[in-house]
Amino acid sequence: MLATVLYEDGDHRWIMFTRDPGKPDAINNTNHYLVQSGTEAILLDPGSIEMFAPMLSSVLKYVPADNITRMFASRQSPDISSSLGLWDQALPNASLFAPSLWEGFLKHFGMTNIHYKPIPDEGMTMTLGHTQLQFIPAHYLPSPANFHVWDAKAGILMSGDVGTAPEEPGSSHWVDSLDRHIPKMKKYHQRWMPSDAARQDWIRRAKAMDAKILAPQHGRLFKGPQVNEFLNWFEQLPVGVAVHS
Amino acid sequence: MAVPIFITAASVSAELHQAMTEARGLALTAKNARAVAVRAGSKTVGFRAITDFIEELASAIIAQSRVINHHAEKLSNQAVVAWQAENAITFFREVEREKPEHLASIQPRIRECDQNLASLDHELQIGLRDLIGQIDESNKHIRTANLIATSSHVEAATAGDFREQLEVIADNIRKTADRIASHLHRANSLLSQNHRERKIAC
Repeated sequence: MLATVLYEDGDHRWIMFTRDPGKPDAINNTNHYLVQSGTEAILLDPGSIEMFAPMLSSVLKYVPADNITRMFASRQSPDISSSLGLWDQALPNASLFAPSLWEGFLKHFGMTNIHYKPIPDEGMTMTLGHTQLQFIPAHYLPSPANFHVWDAKAGILMSGDVGTAPEEPGSSHWVDSLDRHIPKMKKYHQRWMPSDAARQDWIRRAKAMDAKILAPQHGRLFKGPQVNEFLNWFEQLPVGVAVHS
Repeated sequence: MAVPIFITAASVSAELHQAMTEARGLALTAKNARAVAVRAGSKTVGFRAITDFIEELASAIIAQSRVINHHAEKLSNQAVVAWQAENAITFFREVEREKPEHLASIQPRIRECDQNLASLDHELQIGLRDLIGQIDESNKHIRTANLIATSSHVEAATAGDFREQLEVIADNIRKTADRIASHLHRANSLLSQNHRERKIAC
């Protein structure tokens, strides 16, 4: 998988893993993130069964397995969490932070070793090494129990499906022009984001963060002024459109 | 490619469930036989004694089927656990081929998984052998059922006006025993085939 360091300050790092060359064409591309601080690391949205081997291989290029003490699943989607039963074999002493609402569902993936740490609806803060990560509520965007990850020190907001767009292999990791990127995102956000109230509440909180990088689960990332441009665009987009079809 | 044990074991469990249902039918046949024998009076003293055997036999088959069924379900669950471990190991091998920098940090876990799988495989082999043994045991009940059916025909021949009804009952016993035997045979074939395939694979 392609690994890109998004942020590095001493032993505090954000690494993105994406675009595995061996990925079957029939499955969509996914972005996965590893956050390190000190001797601890957390894997954000570990991925599907299909992605397990390349993910484990990629991650072990950066950190020893024993340092990955935690994992995070933003929601229940198979492209995020269907590998959990395999990670359970690889990291039996790890904890999984995931929405409390999905606990009874995610455990169907066969987690007998990993310790499930339910994230309450209002979110929570977790200390990782010398830094703190916040699990920010993003309910109904699109899952009914959904969290994003905010690292205030790094200025990175891992935004799950918000900001998602399909992307051609070999393209840049970064949005270069929002105008050119909008056609790729529009239908997805209109169809998948069901609630205007949830969207507006999330945008209000996201704007207050003043993130330097918005890092979605699929497609390109937003950097600098494009983060706010995206938030402004998303703010006025009609959502939940399938109701009218 | 060998059929996964969890599928074989679940199929065996289904066959045994069918056998158990047939055995319940056999118990009902025994009750009918008893009613006919009571009505027929002294002409069917021998048949009355046979009905006790049929009831006992039906109970024994039901009990044995229940045990095998439970055993097969347990084996199927164990096989799923083994399959998950095997799956993980397949992925771990891919990671080993890639030789990432921190490969050594995951190797103790890979070794544990290998050992765990070997032990699960061993348990599954034992479980399979036990199941085959239990099914063989059930086949003895079927041989007894066929003997009872033959005796019932003999007794029916001396039952006068009740002969026809008792012959129907004796036929029922034989047919039910045949159906149970075919479920046991299918279960046995599934298990033996899997056992053979696993031996070859080893």
